[in-house]
Parts: sequence; structure tokens; C-alpha cells
Amino acid sequence: MNAVQTFKLTKKFNGLVAVNGVDLEINKGELFSLLGPNGAGKTTTIRMLCCLLKPTKGTASVLGYDVVKTPFSVKRLIGVSPQDTILSERLNCWENLALIGKVHGLSSDEVARRSKELLETMGLMERAKDQVRKFSGGMKRRLSIAMALVSDPQVLFLDEPTLGLDPQARRAIWEYIAELKGKKTILLTTHYMEEADFLSDRIGIIDEGRVVALGTSQELKTNRLEMRSMVVSTENLTAEVIADLQSKYSRLEKTKGRLKIYHKDLDFKGIVDYLHSRGVTVYSAALEQPTLEDVFIQITGKKLRD
Amino acid sequence: MKFWEIGKRNLKEIYRNPVLLGFLLGMPLAFMLVFCAAAGGGQAGPIALSIVDEDRSQTSSAFIQTLGSIEAIELNEPIYSEKSQGQEDLEDGRISLYLFIPSGFEEAAQARQTINLELAYKEADPMIGLQLKPIIEAVGSEFLGVVPPLNVELKGTESKIKNMAVNFYAPGIAVFGLMILISTAAGIIAGDREKGFLARMFTTPARPWDFILGYSLPFIPVLIVSTLIYLGVGMALGLTVVGNLGHAFLIFFLIGLCSIGIGMIVGSLVKSESQTGVSWIFIVPMAMISGAWFTVDRMPSAIKSVAGALPFIHAIDASRAVLNGSSFSAIILDFYWLIGWAVVLFAVGIVLFRRTMVS
Repeated sequence: MNAVQTFKLTKKFNGLVAVNGVDLEINKGELFSLLGPNGAGKTTTIRMLCCLLKPTKGTASVLGYDVVKTPFSVKRLIGVSPQDTILSERLNCWENLALIGKVHGLSSDEVARRSKELLETMGLMERAKDQVRKFSGGMKRRLSIAMALVSDPQVLFLDEPTLGLDPQARRAIWEYIAELKGKKTILLTTHYMEEADFLSDRIGIIDEGRVVALGTSQELKTNRLEMRSMVVSTENLTAEVIADLQSKYSRLEKTKGRLKIYHKDLDFKGIVDYLHSRGVTVYSAALEQPTLEDVFIQITGKKLRD
Repeated sequence: MKFWEIGKRNLKEIYRNPVLLGFLLGMPLAFMLVFCAAAGGGQAGPIALSIVDEDRSQTSSAFIQTLGSIEAIELNEPIYSEKSQGQEDLEDGRISLYLFIPSGFEEAAQARQTINLELAYKEADPMIGLQLKPIIEAVGSEFLGVVPPLNVELKGTESKIKNMAVNFYAPGIAVFGLMILISTAAGIIAGDREKGFLARMFTTPARPWDFILGYSLPFIPVLIVSTLIYLGVGMALGLTVVGNLGHAFLIFFLIGLCSIGIGMIVGSLVKSESQTGVSWIFIVPMAMISGAWFTVDRMPSAIKSVAGALPFIHAIDASRAVLNGSSFSAIILDFYWLIGWAVVLFAVGIVLFRRTMVS
């Protein structure tokens, strides 16, 4: 049995299709990421899986329980960290954790034990008695994840867990999530390709409500990426040269002093030689390692942050 | 007991928020201080009353003497023998009000018939008439041994009420204060919806009833503490409790429940915390037409009908009556009206609140 499965899951808002016939199968203990730009349908998908939204069509199950027919059975098994860091601002860490733990039916002793473990793991013990409204964004996010974990759920939904955090705080949260891999089934949504790349067992790329690609990071890069890319640092690029390159290659991105060229069979040496022959100074040139961004661009024709 | 955890959280969010708490308790307290202080607080002086005695009988003279012996009344001299004299002086502003004793007073008293007295006052100053009306009724009833045709049941004597104005304002302002619970309850529910806290809680296995109880029970202690404060401050400012304080408390409790019910409705309907200002569109006009600050007697009948249909005027009238000495049976209809409203408002609030759980 899959931990999470969706069947043609669809949600429309006033005729606008937010999620369009999504079929997913997430294995037990797997960390699965839904990667896509803002508005792609990631949060709507999670909200349906958490029984907050009723699907317009299709359905989904969590550990065999249907999210529409048996929402309270689903809710007993899941932990959710929402996209916006939603805490009870005038409660301290202990109280926030106790609220969620006890609503899940944990005893006071269990709540105290789990809270202590989580506060230590998340590095929040020193500030545990402070009202959380005084916390930084990173601390709030860590507490939010701790709240999702306090009931020891079998399935964890993390909706954009590092949204708006600085790189250091983001890295710390990645490490906490990485520690959970294999212990929990995790569905994570993100629009940070590095996050999906770093954490995921498998990734589903979602755009305009559809899952457009599915696989491990490596599978996506190897199987779905038809084009390679190279970056050239240059000077003296003329409009004529750029137009010439654009006519020969699939995609060209030009920023000040930097040229990025995408093509299926990229002729690295030929490009450098051509630039030299046209009097363009080439400071450096390198083939790029493919990224999930490249995969996304190829499949959807747009950037993740567009 | 999941509701208990949700309720505890909400109570903490209230009492740890000094701005909210200050507003909830401070605003009606400020009203109480201003109105009751303006009404003379606990140091009420006697009211100067003129008399028109058309009966000029032994009984009417004795009645006038009795009135003169009351601490709250200072009789003006001379006693008019014709109504036109009193009316002329009233219109000229030489006197504030007069009591008209019609001819036939003694006969009616001896025959134990209903007696109609007229208390004439300037329209610009209706409070003075309101203050004296129950005193005269009480003295009249005791003196004559008949029930006058006025809808106030007497217990003890009017002299127990030190300051009728304070007894008029304090219950009205207490009910107004409890109406502020509408805005507070709506604000907490709408705020938790807007910030997504409710959505987060809806992903837990708590049931709809846990939320409904968790979002209404925390206001009960707020309601009790508020009521105690209003009554305490009112008494410190001269509110005289002639009747049963417990009955008054029950009335305040019921109107507080009605306010929480309306708050649940508004909180479930408005889209954001900032929109809970819409509560005041209801609170202020409802307070105006409910007799919290001034009597609705002279309002157009359509407005009186609207006021009469709403619960607030019943709470204000009933709490004033029981504080002034009426028995519970005298306010039983108001009591049923309040119970009915509390049930209806909570039922609607629950239906709307449940609708917010899944979209």
C-alpha cells in the first residue's frame, strides 16, 4: 500500500483549474517533493490531502484512508507544517506543541517528552518559554515543523518549509528534514530547485495544475533533459553575433558579460572557436551541470521563478 | 477534551493581549465612569419637585407631605392649585417638573381605584422624570395601598435607590460593555482564519464541536469577570441593588452569550480580522435603540418594534428592573426572549463556523 495516492485529483475555483487530474503514488518512508512555481497547484494539492479542501473531481488516500470519506482517520495520521508559519503568537514553544499534541490525543507526559526531544533537536530549548511572537522567521519555521512532528505522525506534509528564509536558516532546516528521511513519509512542496534536489527521493514537477515530470533528480536530469547548456564569459559581443547564435541554437540567455547557450548536441569547441573568429573576447567557457531548473525550463518553457 | 485545549489557547491569546483586554474592559468602564459621574455618582442631591394639587383634599395633602419627607425629593413652594399654573412655570423654566394630582384623588383612593398621576417635565430633560417616576410610584403605593397604573413592581421603598440616574445608566452600560464581546469574538475567529491558524487546527483530528466550544467557552470567564467589574464599579459609583443581584447577573450572562453568538456569526462571515470593524455597525445602533443611554419611549414606533425584537433592550430593561427590586416573575418574558435569542444565535453561529472548516 502506498502512503499517499491521488486519483485524478482535481480542484477548480470558480471555473479556474488549480489542480488538474493529478495522479501520484508516494511510497512509505519516501521523501517526495512537488516542485513548481508559485501558483502551480502545490499548496492546493496539499490542502486536499490534509482534508482542508474537497476535490472537485477525483480523490486521494493517505495510508489507505480516503481524504473525502474518512477525513478524521486521515487527520489522525498526518502532521502538517503550512506554508505561512502559523503559530499561536502569544503562546510559548511548550504551549504551542502541547496544543497540537493534546488535540491529537497525546497524554501530558507524552507531550512533554516529545516536546523536549523536538525542542532540543530544533535548537529551540533556550527560548522555549518565550512567547513565539518574539521569534525570528527561522525559529518560527523550526517550531512549525516541530508542531507538525509532535504527534509522531506517519505522514508529514511540509508546504514550502523554507520559504523566505536566509540561506543559513534554510540549510539548518534541510538538515532537520534530512534526518527524518526513511523514518516518515514526507510530501514537501517547494519552488526552490536546490531544496528538491538536496532532499528528495523523488520529485514531481508541477505546472499549471499538472504533474509534468516525475522521477528521481538524476532520472529527470538524464532522461528528460534533451539539451545541455554552457556558460561563456565574454566581451565585445555584437548584436550580429547574438542574432547568429540565436538562429543556430535552441535557447540563448544573455546577461552583462555572460552568455548561456542551450542546445541538444552542444558543440563546445565549435562555439568558442566561432566567438574567437568573430573577434569576441572569451574569458572563460564551461559546460554546465544540468539542474532541475533546466529540466523545468525544457518541459514548461519558463523559469521556476517566472 | 480537545475543546479544552483549544479553549485554553484562546483564553491565553485574550488575556496575554493587553490591547484587546484593555479595549474589552476599558471602553465600557470609561463609559460607566463618565455617565455615572455625570449623573452625580453616589452623592445625589434631592430633586426639586413642584406639585399641582387640584384635589385639595386631606388625602392629597397627606400624600404631598409624605412625598416631602422623602430624602430624594425637595418640594417646591407654593403648591399650585391649577394645572395651568404649573405648566406655565414649567414652560418658563422656573421649575423642572411638576406632579399633577387630579381632582377625585381622594375618592379614588378611598374606593381603592386606580389612580392616574401625571409627572410633567421638560422634554429636553427626560432623565429627571425617569428618576422620579419610580420613587413616586413607590411612595404612592405605600401611602395609598393601591397599585398605580405603572409597570414597576415595588419592593421596599424608593428611598433605597440612592441615585436613579446611576441605576438607569449602569445596567445599560454593562450590557453595552458585553456587546463589545461581539467584536472581540469576531476578531479572534476572523483573525485565526485570516492568518491560517484555524486551517492548521483543522488538519488535526479535532471535531467541529471541539472548535465551537473552544472558540466560545473562553469568553465565559471574560463575560463573568466583565460583569463583576461593571457591577462593582457601578455600585462604587452609586448603583443601588434593591433586588436580586443573582438575577441581574443571569440576565447579563445571557446577553453576553448572545453577543458571543453574534461574534461567531460575524467572525465566520467576514473575510479578515480588519473587517470585524463591521461589528460596530451593529453594536452602536443596537446600543442606541436598546435604551442603554437614553429611553426609547419617545422613539418612533417602527424603531421601538425593531428594538423590541432584538435581545438587548430586554436585557437592559430586565436588569434595570431586577436591580431596582422587581421579582424574577416580572421579567420572565424578557428572560425567555434572551434564552431564545441565545439559542438561535449560537445555532446560526455554529452552522456558519462549521462551514469555514472545509471549502
